[in-house]
This record gives sequence, structure tokens and C-alpha cells, in this order.
Amino acid sequence: MPKAADIVIVGAGASGLAFAWRLATGLKNCRILIVERGGYVNQRAAPSLTPEWELALQKSFHANPNIRCNDADYPVDDTQSVIKPAFFNAIGGSTIRWGAHFPRFRPSDFYPHKLDGVAADWPMGYDDLVAYMDINDQMMGVSGLAGDTANPPRSPRQYPPLASCEGSKRLIQGANQLGWHWWPADAAIATTDSTTRRACNNCGPCGIGCPRHARASADNAYLAAAQHAGVELIQHTVVTRILTSTGQAKAIEIRTQNGEKFVIDLEHLVLAGNAISTNVLLSSMNDWNNPLLGKGLMLHPTAIVTGFFRDNLKSYTGPFATSIVSQQFCETERKRGFVRGFQLQALRGQGPLTTALGGYGNPIAWGRSHAKGFSQTFGHGMSLTVTCEDLPEPVNRIEVNKEKLDHFGMPIAKMHYRLGSNTERMKKYGIERAQQWLRAAGAQKISVNPLSKQAGFHLMGTAPMGVSARDSVTAPDGRLYGVANITIIDASVFPSSSPVNPTSTLQAIALRAADLMARRLSAQ
Amino acid sequence: MTPLKYSDETVCALLDCLIPGEASSGWPAAGQMGLGNRFIELMRLLHRDGDQLLQSLFNVLPDDFADATAETQVACLAAIEKTCPTIFDATLKACYSAYYTNPEVREIIEAKTGYEARPPQPQGYPLEPFDESLLDPVRARGPIWRPVP
Repeated sequence: MPKAADIVIVGAGASGLAFAWRLATGLKNCRILIVERGGYVNQRAAPSLTPEWELALQKSFHANPNIRCNDADYPVDDTQSVIKPAFFNAIGGSTIRWGAHFPRFRPSDFYPHKLDGVAADWPMGYDDLVAYMDINDQMMGVSGLAGDTANPPRSPRQYPPLASCEGSKRLIQGANQLGWHWWPADAAIATTDSTTRRACNNCGPCGIGCPRHARASADNAYLAAAQHAGVELIQHTVVTRILTSTGQAKAIEIRTQNGEKFVIDLEHLVLAGNAISTNVLLSSMNDWNNPLLGKGLMLHPTAIVTGFFRDNLKSYTGPFATSIVSQQFCETERKRGFVRGFQLQALRGQGPLTTALGGYGNPIAWGRSHAKGFSQTFGHGMSLTVTCEDLPEPVNRIEVNKEKLDHFGMPIAKMHYRLGSNTERMKKYGIERAQQWLRAAGAQKISVNPLSKQAGFHLMGTAPMGVSARDSVTAPDGRLYGVANITIIDASVFPSSSPVNPTSTLQAIALRAADLMARRLSAQ
Repeated sequence: MTPLKYSDETVCALLDCLIPGEASSGWPAAGQMGLGNRFIELMRLLHRDGDQLLQSLFNVLPDDFADATAETQVACLAAIEKTCPTIFDATLKACYSAYYTNPEVREIIEAKTGYEARPPQPQGYPLEPFDESLLDPVRARGPIWRPVP
């Protein structure tokens, strides 16, 4: 076990690996160490190669760590949260079990206060990040089509758009009939063969790993390059404490899989887990506190509206989360009765078991009507998410209970979360629009799941960045106000949430933070 | 751990009541397929406290459940669904999981829907390339994103 490193990064997920690679390529003669609580997941042997692949979705690849209970998972108290936590602990982080939907935050997403008087503006704008988004796209490999009319012009995508299924075509027909925006989703999924990745073959369940490596994950995209640049990685090891002295982080305490404890001295600490783990770790510092920490948790509340079509669309084919999106309603239009907006994202159908268990809604009824219900549902449904931009409300928060410890000896975090009134109005309006779209697409029957509970995938806020220590927790480069050698690069630094998935923007912020750190340290 | 007390007949009747199938269209009943042991196994695999849930389930099911009429069984399960949702949801999940991962059921699904009884990989599924011309009306309307002043 190393006794010291110049820079220790906690978490080998989407942001941690991107940051490590970028920093190692820009800063020489520096020992960079990543500590990851999970281990390597061999996606070449993904459950989708086995007949019981759908059971993996219910257990070992379940999004909720409280249900999954894998070795690296830690419990989260979600009893006071209507949306449950969803993240994965492994090298690659949650990109091991994601859908790879890869939109970018849009220019207006960075200025919610200036434009609409809500939340706080970011200390950076779209133009500050676009070059990093391009670099990240190159590394992750993105399929799609430049020229989206709901976004600024962007560089050509690395791969052509994903294939169309019959269900997507129906939705396209519906959107064109309504005169609404739609576009093929940007997806971190390869659609043609390359030296390291085989083209997507439309198998469907991206969320249990991709044996072809078509669907990107941070480990496949960044780890080898980072290690080539000199980055070291310790896996199956939990960081249990940050040791501080005179306002500086001096070391971390770690616990290995075997329960052994070590201390690693450091010059700089980078937190790249998620809002929950970052809050827990920061709470371990004895001589630092910020009353803003933990407040303003944002989760992208999502309703899912499913349309069932008379004919069998075979909607179980194709990547489940990356068909088409509509950003018709992303921008504020006050006459709708709320500020900010939502994205509508098409979801394809699912396998037989997941369909029976309810897919994105309620289970198919048991009893005499079950066989009929299954026959009318399986392969017949296409869903639309109504993904709402969340506002950072202080009441939505993460609390760390130092009296209640998990099996790693770490305090257990508690999520407090309920939907704000703006979000409720937005979601209601969005559900009506999703129904309108599905009707225009020819759906015979529509079911509404008004809130997807197992969907706390996007843990944003609680340590927002800003230009002033008075109203922020972190500086524009992610450094913690009050402890300047701790940098946070997970989504807890987001001051607002946008209505679109955060990973592309998150990784761009991590790459930028790495450049800023490299520049700063090189100048010393 | 105290060994679970239950009868195979009770489990069979329980599964048949949840998924009675539809003989006229060729869907088999879950209990009649002999999925009882698989159901027990999945209760333990899918739920951290599987044994406890099973014990609770068998505690709330009447001793004569297997001998009751179909109507009585349905009423009994409906009552459990209402009063003990955690036990019922876990039971339903394990029952559906046993049924829909069963090779025989998967063959029936293939015959009825065309969804092949095989894992999604390595074969995948063919789909048509994206047709860009579908975007013509969207492009014609021009940009809709909001610039920041």
C-alpha cells in the first residue's frame, strides 16, 4: 500500500477517471493515486450473455444500492426521500450500469438566475466547457447527429446515430405531426466497429454492462489511458476519513477489503464519488464546516408515460434509453405556469420479466387477466420520460448521522427529498404533453407513472460552486472554500440541474478542473 | 434459522393463483409447471431478508389455502396484497421471476410474439439505419435554443 501520493482521487467513476487522465497528461513528475471502493467489472462476461439476464437487473445490477447490496455498496437512509438513490460502486462507477444517454447542458442551463430568477448561476458558461465536452466525446465515443436545432452547433459525432426501431418511428411520426422538436439522442454508444469496440447490435439492456464495449463506460474510455500516463489505482478500498491539520487535508484513512486500515499522506485530495459519499467524507473533517453543505439536493424528478400500440412493435430491441429526445419544452415559457423546463426522452420496451414486473410503471395484474395483460403489453409499449429540471431547495438535503455507522464503519447518509411546487406543476404539464405525443403516435392505451421512484441517478448539488464563499461551498475550479487542497469534481458542485442527463457536462467539468489544477501546480 | 414450514401444495396453489395461465391460448399456470422450488430459491436470491419474508408469507396464508376454492384463494391473496404489501410484492416478484425466466415459458413467448428464447447477446437484433430525411421538418423550423445575453 502506498504511504503517500501527491494527488489522491476518491472514486474511479465518470469524473474521477476523466480527471485522472487529464491531470496525468498535463502534470509530470507527480504521483496520482485513485482509490475506488468497488472493483473491476468484466463487461465481456455481462449477464446479457446468459438466459437469466433479467434477474441481474433485479439484484446484482439493480440501480439502488440498498436493494443491490453488492460487496462495495453502502447503505443510504432513504426513508425521507420520495426518490431512491441510484448509483453503482465499481471502477467505471455508474457508467457500468447506465443507458449512455449523453446530452450536453445547454447555454441557458448555466444561467437559471439571470434568465429566470431561480437557483444560482454557474461561475462558468457553456462556452467555457464546450472544448472539454468535445475532448470528452472523443474519449467516450458518441453516436448522434450534429445540427440539433435545440442546441448550439456542435462538432460532428464520432459515430452515426443509432438505428431506428418501429416504436421510434411511430414517435417520430407523432412529433412531426405535432410540429414538435425531436432529435436522435446523443449516445455514448459506438454504432460502427473500431479497434477496441464492436458496433452496437441493438441487444437492449445496456444497464447490465456491454460485452461488445459498444456502450461506453468510464473504465473502458479512460482507465488504460490514465494508467499509461502513470496514474495508479487501488480498488476494493474505502476511504473512511479525511485527516486535516491547520486548514489543510494532510492524509486519508483507508480500509481495505480485508478490514486492514492504512493512512496515505497527500498534497491534494480530489473527491469524485457522488453527492452522498462526498457529504459523508467531508463530515469526517474535524475542523471544517459549512452550513450550506448538504443542502439543495437535486434529483431530476421523472415521470414515465407509456403508450401501448395495437400491433407488436418488438420494442424490446435497441438500446433501452437512447432512441430520440424532444427538447421542445426545455426553455422557460411562463404561461405554462412554471419556470425552466423538461426533456421528453423515448424509452424502448423491455424483456419479458421486466415487462411483467411493470417495466416503467405498475406490474401486470396477477390472476386471471395476467396472460392477456402480458400479451397486450410485451413488445407493444414505448415510453416517454418527463425529466424535470430540479431547483436547489434547502429542504432537499443530505444529512450525515455520525452516530449510525455502516459495515465499513462509515456514517450513514440520509436523503431528505420531496418535490417542490414548481417541479410538480412542470411534471403535470409534462405528463400531459407526453400523453399528447403518444396519442399522436397512435398509442391505443396510455399509462402514467407519475414519479419514477427508483430513479435517483443524477445526484446533483449539496456542495455548489460559486464565486463567493458566502453563498457557495466550492470555488469555480471545484476547490473547497476553507480547505484549498480539497477539490470536488462530482455533481455535488452543480449549482443547478438542467433538464438533461449530466454525465457529459460532469466529465467536461472534471477535465477543466484537471487543467486548472495542472496549471496551478505547474506554476508553483 | 428455523426451517421454513410449508407444503408444496400450498406453494403450488399460490403460484397458480398468481399466474393461472390461460389454457385456451396455451399459457401454462405457474404452479402446475413445478416452479415451487424455483420460487423459494428466488425469494432468497432477490430479497435480502428472503427467509423472513417467506416465513411471514406462510404465516399469513391459511393452512387450508391449497384446498380452498379459486375464488377464496383470490380473495385471500387480495387481502394480503392490501394488508401486507411488502410480503405480497416480494412474493409477486419472485413468482414472476420464476415464470418468465423459465425456458418452457420463453419458448411459448417466442412462438406467440417472435421474441426469441435466447439471451440478448451475443446475437443482438437487426434494426434499420436511422433515416435522416425524417428530420427535414425539424430542421425547417430552425433553432429553438435560448442564447444567453
